[in-house]
Amino acid sequence: MGPSGSGKSTLLQILSFLDRPTGGSYRFHGKSIDEMTDQELAHVRNKDMGFVFQSFNLLSRISVYSNVEIPLLYSTILPAERRTLIEEAVRSVGLEEKLHTEAGKLSGGQKQRVAIARALVTKPDIIFADEPTGNLDSHSGLQIMEILASLNDKGHTVILVTHETQTAEFANRIIKMKDGMIESDKIITGRRVHDNLK
Amino acid sequence: MLLRDAFKTATRSLAHRKMRSILTMLGIVIGIASVIIIMSLGASAQQYIVGQIQSMAPNMINVQPGAPVTGGAPSSVMGITITTLTKRDVEALQREPSITNVAPNVTGNSRIVFENKSKSGIWIATTANIFQMMNLKFSSGYAFASADENTYKHVVVLGSKIADDLFGNIEPVGKYVRFNDMSFRVIGVLEAKGSGMFSMDEYAILPLSVGQKQIRGIDYYQELNIQIDPAYDSEFVKTRIISILRTSHQITDPTKDDFMVTSMDEALSVLGNVMSIFTIFLSAIAAISLIVGGIGIMNIMLVSVTERTREIGLRKAVGATNGDILQQFLIESVLLTFIGGVIGILTGAAVVGIIYVVLTTFYSFGWVFAFSLSSVLLGLAVSGFAGLAFGIYPALQAARKNPIEALRYE
Repeated sequence: MGPSGSGKSTLLQILSFLDRPTGGSYRFHGKSIDEMTDQELAHVRNKDMGFVFQSFNLLSRISVYSNVEIPLLYSTILPAERRTLIEEAVRSVGLEEKLHTEAGKLSGGQKQRVAIARALVTKPDIIFADEPTGNLDSHSGLQIMEILASLNDKGHTVILVTHETQTAEFANRIIKMKDGMIESDKIITGRRVHDNLK
Repeated sequence: MLLRDAFKTATRSLAHRKMRSILTMLGIVIGIASVIIIMSLGASAQQYIVGQIQSMAPNMINVQPGAPVTGGAPSSVMGITITTLTKRDVEALQREPSITNVAPNVTGNSRIVFENKSKSGIWIATTANIFQMMNLKFSSGYAFASADENTYKHVVVLGSKIADDLFGNIEPVGKYVRFNDMSFRVIGVLEAKGSGMFSMDEYAILPLSVGQKQIRGIDYYQELNIQIDPAYDSEFVKTRIISILRTSHQITDPTKDDFMVTSMDEALSVLGNVMSIFTIFLSAIAAISLIVGGIGIMNIMLVSVTERTREIGLRKAVGATNGDILQQFLIESVLLTFIGGVIGILTGAAVVGIIYVVLTTFYSFGWVFAFSLSSVLLGLAVSGFAGLAFGIYPALQAARKNPIEALRYE
């Protein structure tokens, strides 16, 4: 976490292969990012990473199902297996009854849950979330954090960027940044658990 | 990305922008329809003219006086008087077994008068066999005979147009018309043939001797029409005619020929070439509208790429490669132009069909419905190619977008 301009989103973009570092080195599964082609980076993003954005980035005129399907279109998963994966992902965010609703007709909180389902559908190791609660009211924000925390509990690594202390309270490890540098890096033993999760 | 998924994504994207997709397609629809209509009408006109020539002047070879020309019109057409075709030539040709008929002629323009009405027309003085050679049918009366030529009989057979203009509802047969200070008894009226290369509707046909000796006062012919025996190849007969005329004219050097022989096959082939060039030229003009349509596609695709920048960013973030994005936008533009092409072909076919029905039903025109598979395939290929050609630039723009900048795009 950190204030605006501290470099947290840039770091997240580099970590998630959306951008390449201008200096230093970054190794993923033992391989330097500099040795990987754009196509290889796209393949890793699709297979090992999931993305949740502040502004949801859903295609509003297509259904929840089709939105969640997007990462699968670029994967090696066969079309016959997609339906199960999509339904499973949508169920895990509690939106199974909205499966065929147009994404544009959902509330902000529901949209972000669809975005989480989209991030989950390829069963990635890491989920990158850039200010996922930034466009939500506090209630919906808590719901989203609750889902992300439960995913973390199920074994997904969640790397989340926020400037809100309340959101950061859900983390096991908090790295604070300022002016592009790491200010502090703390392991949290008693992380916050939302009332519903207790 | 599977091709099936790419098509599904592209179709969905076009369906979400229905009105825009339809308007964008319109340019291609008009372009393809114009090309199809022009190609079909060109082919119909060609078949119609060829059909007319073949039905009205089968197995004909034409001999004109004057040296053969490689470019431009023969000397006789240019108004130069050449007196080389004579009775001796006709007699020599009539002895050739591959020739069934020879009809020499002399023509002129005159004002033809009936009572107080007059009309400018062409008279053609020829032999009696011309009626059979050219398949001429009579609506009333009959043809003159060889005997009428020998006796310089002042009789005339009128084309339907001249007869209508001069006589109206009066029956022309038995009446007298005047031209070149001579009076001619009308003995027959030809059936109307409509406008066409061999239409005699505006001609007055009279015995050769009258036109040649009494009106023109000459002893040469202006043209020979020769009918060949269908058992012989026209090229062979043409060679025979050339040989006979060279002997008759005592020509030893083939470059010094003073006559020009044209077979109907040659004329048809020249006509075919001219028509094809004309059709290609018109199609090329119509193709300009295709280019305009294509530019429209490119413009709209560029707008679409800009509008969908965030979508491109998202797709790239979740694993789409540059190739996937390029493919998606190319498929969209090709689909747009291809569907436009199909609609254009159907529209073209409908217009060509309507023209055919109108011409055959309301005007009793012997029009031919020429809608070839090749023009359909060409239409589809051109429309598909237009999609690729005009879609590649916008698709490359989309594929090259940086995912971070694309995701931040407002």
